[in-house]
Amino acid sequence: MRRFGRFGKITGLVAAASVVVLALGACGSDDGDDGTAPAASGTAAAKSIKVGLAYDIGGRGDKSFNDSAAAGLDKAATGLGVTKTELEAAEGETDAQKEERLRQLADAGNNPIIAVGFAYATALGKVAPEYPDINFAIIDDATLVDVPNVASLTFAEEQGSFLVGAIAAQATKVGNIGFVGGVNTPLIQKFQAGYEAGAKAVKPDIKIQVTYLTQPPDFTGFNDPAKGQTAAAGMYDSGADVVYHAAGGSGGGVFTAAKSAGKLAIGVDADQYLGAAADVQPVILTSMIKHVDVAVYDMVKSAVDGKPLTGAKVYDLKVGGVAFSTSNSAVSPYTAMAEDYQKKIISGEIKVPTTPTS
Amino acid sequence: MTVPNPTRLLASAGAALAAPLLALVTAVTVTVLVLVGSGSSPLDVLDTMVTYAQRPRSQALMVNSAVTYYFSAVAVAIGFRMNLFNIGVDGQYRLAALLAAAAAAEISLPPVLHVTVVLLIAMGVGASWAGLAALLKVYRGVSEVISTIMLNFIGTALIAYLLTPERLAVRTVGSNNIGTPTIPASGQVPGISLIPDSRLQVYGLAILAVAVGAGYWFLLSRTRFGFDLRAAGASEDAAKASGVRVSRMIIISMLLSGAVAGLVGMPQLLGAAHTFSLDFPAGLGFTGIAIALLGRNHPVGIAIGALLFGFLDNAATSLELRGVSRDIVLVTQGVIVLSVVVAYELVRRVRTRAEQRDVARRLAATTPAPPAPSTPQEVGA
Amino acid sequence: MPANHAGRGQVTDRGRLWLRRPAWPVRAERGPAAGTSCGRGPGLPGRGAGAGTARSPPTFPSIPRGASRIGTEGTQASAADDPETPVAGPATGDREAAAETAAAAAAETTEAAGTESAAFAVELRDITKTFPGVVANRDVSIRVRRGSVHAVVGENGAGKSTLMKTLYGMHRPDSGTILVDGEDVTLRSPADAIARGIGMVHQHFKLAENLTVLENVVLGAEPRKPGWRRLLLDSRQARTRINEIATRYGLDIRPGAYVRDLGIGERQRVEILKVLYRGARTLILDEPTAVLVPQEVDELFGALRDLVNEGLSIIFISHKLDEVLTVADDITVIRRGTTVGTVRPAEVTARQLAELMVGSELPSPEISEESVTDEVALTVEGLSVDTEDGRRAVTDVGFTVRRGEILGIAGVEGNGQAELIEAVMGIRPAATGRVLLGGTDVTAWPTRRRREAGVAYVPEDRIRSGLLFDSPLWENRMLGHQTRPPNSRGGLLTPSAARSDTRQIVAEYDVRTPSVAVAAGALSGGNQQKLIVGREMRDGPTLLVAAHPTRGVDVGAQAAIWDQLRAARREGLAVLLVSADLDELIGLSDTLRVILRGRLVAEADPRGVTPEDLGSAMSGMSRAPAVPSTPAVDTAPGAVTTPAAAAAATDGAGPGAGDVGDTGDSGDTGAAAEPGEDR
Repeated sequence: MRRFGRFGKITGLVAAASVVVLALGACGSDDGDDGTAPAASGTAAAKSIKVGLAYDIGGRGDKSFNDSAAAGLDKAATGLGVTKTELEAAEGETDAQKEERLRQLADAGNNPIIAVGFAYATALGKVAPEYPDINFAIIDDATLVDVPNVASLTFAEEQGSFLVGAIAAQATKVGNIGFVGGVNTPLIQKFQAGYEAGAKAVKPDIKIQVTYLTQPPDFTGFNDPAKGQTAAAGMYDSGADVVYHAAGGSGGGVFTAAKSAGKLAIGVDADQYLGAAADVQPVILTSMIKHVDVAVYDMVKSAVDGKPLTGAKVYDLKVGGVAFSTSNSAVSPYTAMAEDYQKKIISGEIKVPTTPTS
Repeated sequence: MTVPNPTRLLASAGAALAAPLLALVTAVTVTVLVLVGSGSSPLDVLDTMVTYAQRPRSQALMVNSAVTYYFSAVAVAIGFRMNLFNIGVDGQYRLAALLAAAAAAEISLPPVLHVTVVLLIAMGVGASWAGLAALLKVYRGVSEVISTIMLNFIGTALIAYLLTPERLAVRTVGSNNIGTPTIPASGQVPGISLIPDSRLQVYGLAILAVAVGAGYWFLLSRTRFGFDLRAAGASEDAAKASGVRVSRMIIISMLLSGAVAGLVGMPQLLGAAHTFSLDFPAGLGFTGIAIALLGRNHPVGIAIGALLFGFLDNAATSLELRGVSRDIVLVTQGVIVLSVVVAYELVRRVRTRAEQRDVARRLAATTPAPPAPSTPQEVGA
Repeated sequence: MPANHAGRGQVTDRGRLWLRRPAWPVRAERGPAAGTSCGRGPGLPGRGAGAGTARSPPTFPSIPRGASRIGTEGTQASAADDPETPVAGPATGDREAAAETAAAAAAETTEAAGTESAAFAVELRDITKTFPGVVANRDVSIRVRRGSVHAVVGENGAGKSTLMKTLYGMHRPDSGTILVDGEDVTLRSPADAIARGIGMVHQHFKLAENLTVLENVVLGAEPRKPGWRRLLLDSRQARTRINEIATRYGLDIRPGAYVRDLGIGERQRVEILKVLYRGARTLILDEPTAVLVPQEVDELFGALRDLVNEGLSIIFISHKLDEVLTVADDITVIRRGTTVGTVRPAEVTARQLAELMVGSELPSPEISEESVTDEVALTVEGLSVDTEDGRRAVTDVGFTVRRGEILGIAGVEGNGQAELIEAVMGIRPAATGRVLLGGTDVTAWPTRRRREAGVAYVPEDRIRSGLLFDSPLWENRMLGHQTRPPNSRGGLLTPSAARSDTRQIVAEYDVRTPSVAVAAGALSGGNQQKLIVGREMRDGPTLLVAAHPTRGVDVGAQAAIWDQLRAARREGLAVLLVSADLDELIGLSDTLRVILRGRLVAEADPRGVTPEDLGSAMSGMSRAPAVPSTPAVDTAPGAVTTPAAAAAATDGAGPGAGDVGDTGDSGDTGAAAEPGEDR
């Protein structure tokens, strides 16, 4: 049994062994911050509030929606002066282990507790009733709307995607655009559905290329820039000149492909124009912003204010939960029409589908 | 001439414990070093773990994780004994779980029969998926390492294809998840209240895990088939010369491995989730490889390894609460596996050498004294 | 190289004779008083450490072999006259002629070596080396004359390898001194040894296949280009030096050839070249002939002779006695870790040497009484076998083996024996033809069914195919018989019955082991083989298919195995025997067939045939079956029909037996790792 090279997992473990010493150093400094949460702002009550956050696989640093949630938490920690505790999911874990994570957060006195990701739905459904005095929130899931101490925070990703789809359809010179999804799940399909609907609203005969980087349960599609680059480059080669990605950390590869092809790309989740390197910025036409950070912050804020959120809260265009960014001035020729669509969606005149038609 | 040597007796008694002890000491030392290096107090960590281990709920969680790991590790170990590297346990159990879940939701049978049929389906699917790799190896000479890895990918793609609302999955309003319809009560396996004071029950299929372990032991060490399999694993040529049809053994052992792999997802599916959804646990097949190594392919060793991994995996959460990254657990697990493999190899070599010496000593002791004194005279004559 | 021919001629005479003549008392070069290095019983008081070093100088002059022959001419002559000297057997005219040639050849080489210094190239004094619980070497003393071939012989596990590892600096002795060119040295590593001019040619070559000869030779000692180009290999300089060495020592080798394209013999020359390139003056050759085919052995011996004529010294480790007698100037016998004596090849027979090695009367493989019955056990008809890569290894082979008959298949290895046997066992499919067991066509039967039908099998390579090294003896006893009692019943193993049965095998077949729970890999080669033979004979087989049953085992085990084969044959066992040991074949077989390039080309009567005749047939020099009806001594030329073959046979008085005729005392070690020795 001397063939370690073959063991994916073990190689991973060993690699982790060598890397972790460094990584832990970084974690250690984070921990230090926890203890000295700024007390500058926030009420006295806020200081005693402990917020628990349970990430999905990948955790903080996944350059995707976990990070977005982390940003909201950080903002709350500094802005509201709450104490934060973060736990991360592991690969291959069961609902029982997710329950355990939530229970441990609850037992440690955290309130509110925010579960990031729909994978926590089953677990939270079991744990929340056990702790009626604690307020929970879950991102991207609305199956627990009936549980009184759970806030279901979901997003109208299809609405935001509709608008960037409309922008892409205007921006394309050849009538050919693309969509790169990270992992083929119903959630990402919502992005695709909105994008397609938006583009077709502008140009009914537009050609839309669609690809997903990985299939569940392989969630690496959210964090594999190389795959993103390959997929996007393929689309540009086949004639697309605007590609929208909903692929989290893999999006960096999409931008790289756009830059080398001299074409355009559309970002997701955050305003990616702002975070990009100067030479990449021109290719990021716009971004479909999904304010997970706002949702997390809102939840904490509501708890600090003593009126914790419960029930379903949909972050849609109307409340600014999703939006398109205008940081890149190149998008300005197309914003008028997008804003027009936005009004129609808010008014209900346009109903955006949540599942792709194709 | 062979006087019992007290030091040697002690040594042979110690030999059995030498490898595990060596491994343990190494693993603990490295883990402590990593903890100190990362600025955590090893004593704190130990304290946290001990406290965690004492909670009934953690014990139940540990056992539940271990049950799942056990199936996975036994599946890998069956391959190992035949010198086959079934890396495809991962794909085998996921595909088996999906199809079994879909079937379980479709059929309606009386309780016990329902579960039995579902288990058989899962084993059948796992065995077929592994069997593909076996056939490729026997008839086309494709290394099972390559083919099982590839079949993992194909399995993933197949699951993604099947797990859509048009095919095997159903949508739940308000959820971004997607899964097979919930299995009716007759197809669910109730838990066992094994751990007192724990509201969390142990998977009912823990009993099946024990049975599989016992069956694995009996098959390998007590049956002719097991002997053939071990012989083929130890030396293909020797097995052939002894009349074992090695290609047949490859197929059978791969089918067996796949069948057990098919059970990996069953405790979770039938005992807890009752549906196969996007977040169904993945990657357990790789954990199984590590545990099979850790347990030296022995049913009891694997059980210990599975419990250890189950404990560490779950304790990671409480460590994280204390500000220790859960990666420390990955490091510990990796170090343990490495230490065990290295320690056993070291001890094996030492023991082989000791055995050879023993044989040589015996040889020297039982044969007549060296050169007869008469020889020189004869030479000179 | 006439000297070689002469040497071989003499040995061949002995080789022919020893089977038929009673043992002669061993003659040594000096009396017991001087023989301090000879073996002693353990009860004797140990001699002082100084005794060995202060002994009288050797009686033979320290000059190369050719000269030595002249120097001892008187002795030789008187020995020839002495009726008790083996050389003076019923010599034919042939042989006398050969002796004359030898004398002439010896005279020719006198000049070349006459001026050598009398000092010893290497001297080992009272070397003792113990490993925990085992004394590997005890008071071993060897003196190697400069410009001589000094053979070190002994059974497997006698301590030869340990001694040579000491000399090559691979470990340090517990006590004793090593002198190189008269100077006391401490060798801490092989690098030390090389610096002292001692080089080792290992049995298993250590060459990089995809490099050229030149690159292999200079690897690790590369000449650099001068100046700023010193990172570059100066291949011109390397080539010049290699060519110089090759020419000087008569090593025929092309520096530009890739090692992967070379034959075994050529590779060995590259190894020797490597050692010489590093400036070795004393070469240790560990079992150099084990991997060679007869022609290559011939060439090797020629090369060795050239080397000693150039003043180099060679230590030749072997247990093939006829080779030792052919090539060595002095022979030191090691038994149970200590030196038994040093003898000169002219004064001993192979048999006497073997008896020195074992310390007892040698077994002879001959079988006397006739036990062949009419009942056919195995029939092979028109059998052809292909290898995996589609090459036809066996072509249209047919024979029968009757109960009570041992059918021997002689042949140079790689002529289809392995494939033939595997086809008989059902391990390899037959391309054409049939295999019948007692009249039943079993061609389509799998191996297991054939074994269950009473076919026992001693495979060619016990390490690969005969044993499970990491499994205990009792599990190894099951191997091949796992479908039958006492090993299993109704698909379930019966370990306790198997264990007790294994204990009986261990007792009956004298397998030396502390218990049956020991891993098979811990046993020495001979004991492993006894276990295999024991388990195969245990279940009362009707047919035994045995390939090289005594290869790499010591003389004691060989005798035991031969006894078992004979006993089983008396009880009606049919045996298909493939062996490289011609004396074993001749001694055991009732019928002999010769296999060449996959075909059975000749048949011989073992009662009349000589190893030389067989050797000719095996090498394809004899087209017609060699079936001599009268003793070979008289009819050797008549046993072959074609002129070419006749010439070969005459010549075969020289190389023939040396090539293919192991004298049977030793067998071939093959790749067997001998735990007893390998430390």
